Amino acid sequence: MKGGVLKLLTVVVGLNIFFAYIGLYFLPQSESRPPKETKIEKGISQDDLIAVGEQIVFSKGQCMVCHPVKTEVGMRAPAISTIGVEMEKSAKERNMKFESYVFEALVNPSAYIQKGFENMMPPIHKPPTSLNDGELIAVAAYLQSRGAKVSVSYPESVPVLKEQIDIEAKKGGK
Amino acid sequence: MADVSPSKSLIKGVIKLTLFLGVGFAVLFILNKVLSAPTEDGYRFFPVIGSRVWVWIIAQLHLNFAAFVLGVPIFAVSMEFMSWRRNDERLDRIAYDFTKLFTLAYTLTAAVGTILMISLPVLYPKFIDHLMKILGPTWWVYVLVMYIETLVCYYYFYSWKQMKGSKKGTHVAIGGLLNIMGITMLLITSSWVGYMTTPNPHGVSETGELINRWQAIKSYMWIPLSLHRLFANVVFGAGIAAAYAAYRFITAETDEQRAYYDWMGYTSAMISIGFSLILPGIGYLLGVEIYSFNEQMGIQLMGGFFAWLWVMQAILIGAILMFVNYYLWISLNKMPGGERYFKYVKYLFIVNLLGYAVWLTPHSIALSLEEARRMGAYHPVLGSLGVMASKNTAVVVSYMATFLSFTIFKISNKEPIVSWAKLGHTIRAAVIVLSTAAAIAIGIYSYMVTSAVRVKVLSPIQFGIFFLSIIILFVLDTMMYKGAIVIGEPRWGKMPERSQYALIGITVTFTWLMAMMGYMRSGGRQFWHVYGIVKDTSPDAYLPTHGYAAVVSSIVTVIFFALIGLLFWSIMKLEKVADKGGAQT
Repeated sequence: MKGGVLKLLTVVVGLNIFFAYIGLYFLPQSESRPPKETKIEKGISQDDLIAVGEQIVFSKGQCMVCHPVKTEVGMRAPAISTIGVEMEKSAKERNMKFESYVFEALVNPSAYIQKGFENMMPPIHKPPTSLNDGELIAVAAYLQSRGAKVSVSYPESVPVLKEQIDIEAKKGGK
Repeated sequence: MADVSPSKSLIKGVIKLTLFLGVGFAVLFILNKVLSAPTEDGYRFFPVIGSRVWVWIIAQLHLNFAAFVLGVPIFAVSMEFMSWRRNDERLDRIAYDFTKLFTLAYTLTAAVGTILMISLPVLYPKFIDHLMKILGPTWWVYVLVMYIETLVCYYYFYSWKQMKGSKKGTHVAIGGLLNIMGITMLLITSSWVGYMTTPNPHGVSETGELINRWQAIKSYMWIPLSLHRLFANVVFGAGIAAAYAAYRFITAETDEQRAYYDWMGYTSAMISIGFSLILPGIGYLLGVEIYSFNEQMGIQLMGGFFAWLWVMQAILIGAILMFVNYYLWISLNKMPGGERYFKYVKYLFIVNLLGYAVWLTPHSIALSLEEARRMGAYHPVLGSLGVMASKNTAVVVSYMATFLSFTIFKISNKEPIVSWAKLGHTIRAAVIVLSTAAAIAIGIYSYMVTSAVRVKVLSPIQFGIFFLSIIILFVLDTMMYKGAIVIGEPRWGKMPERSQYALIGITVTFTWLMAMMGYMRSGGRQFWHVYGIVKDTSPDAYLPTHGYAAVVSSIVTVIFFALIGLLFWSIMKLEKVADKGGAQT
């Protein structure tokens, strides 16, 4: 009887050690820290703006959770590598300035959904992503740079961005 | 132990609960006076292990006990009802034993709950103030329901023997009331968690001001989370009851005890596994609500930082299925005629193993989804097996194999006498083959469609086929084996001791899984106390490594089993004392 209870204890403790071992040594180990706010300097060069935008797209913006880099079968959201070309095309179709269209896609994404995709993108100037003006312009620059000419700059593009934010606020979006 | 009169038990219950609450409020008051003021942004720090780990451990322990005391009454009362209608003394005994377990576990639940009640406002005063501002009245309703539930629970248990016979119906109704109270408590606590994770914008503003309390309660995940917890509580409660039976089997001194606890272990394990079949479906509903609230949170939970923990989940559920199958295969030995089915075991083992392998294959061996996306490619073979299309298929096939292990155990000591038995066997084989083929075909087709079609259409069809086929098989066997020749009754108690370790294995793995899934659900909020509304600005506002989370989950599980072991031991001690008392009179 005592031997049985001892074996039972061994099973309980052994399994817990085993599961902790898998967690420690079989799974990749990284922490997820809250993102830091990026301060964009006035008059930042276009290349630097694109580089900051890329950094945000792949980290704080969490864009890669849905967007693949290259086109994939069954992808949830448009591929990043060609998104500049696609956005420029859509802007022309909708008779919008390229710059305005890119900002609309970031802060008021439900205004226009690319064919074949669902309305699932959140406005990223709001919580939980909460990108600031500079960060949003940097992301826009990076997206434009994927196959199209970059037309945004900081702080010159702030009024165009604010215009789109105001449109989103007026419609009372979540 | 059940010799306390029902009325005295009510007084005992009220005193106990009031004592716990009184101590809780008193300690809270003293600590707030004695401890230094919280930091500017509203935090105090627990020594050595930090506030987060402390609250993590205590909250998970409390949740485990709460799950147990809310889950077990559901099937205990159902069994009492059946025992009453069928006049079955054995069912009445097992229902009573289950009731004994959860009644005595109430004290431990309340003790851990009191520690949590003290810890949260002391360590996170600003956040708790916010919760009280938004959902405060629900806390007072919770306290009221807790009193009623405790009174009903104590009365239900201590009046068992007095209310046998003509009052049995009333006693069952009291059990029903107990479950209503339990479900009410579950709904209240789920509303708190639901608010923190998926706050309803109609209930609270972006700046954290209350707009409408009912809307704040009615968050996106409130009902699906409550349903998921309700069924998971039954699975967990039955698992703990199976562990209790295994413990009693191993420590049994007579053949009669071994036979009874073998049967109790089997019954509990099958309740646990039976209800677990519903969980993926309700989990799916929960997922849909999380996605409706915020796609990012949904995807982050399913495929972002937590992607690897789903691989861990696959390892754990696969292990549970392996333990269950192993237990059922060993059980064939105690069934007269069971040896006729030994030949199928190796095939079922292969199917389970293959399903398990696909299930735990990761989508990429990169560190994170972002890294995989940057690489732009997945492994040519593993990449295809690591996606939802193959995993859902593997889950369905593995569950089907487990259901067949259960079926062959159930029918192994019987011989059908109906004239269409041969046709029945053919239909059974056809249902198994066709449903498995359909699940695999849908799985392959899932690779070719958009994620929306895969998630919203094909996955539900796949699980629908599985449920439909097990219902057909269940009905078919019930009809086919009606009045069947029984080769021999199961030789309860004639089980090797190792079978009981499989039962313990199921429960330990399930407890660990609960700890990990609880962490994922909570971690889905990332660096927010209330997602998008109240930011976590403490030094703990980050998600730790998976290894760290795994170690905490193991610590919680070991502490929980130490406490549960203590409970089992106390029950045996009390029984011995009661037996001695009985012998003297």
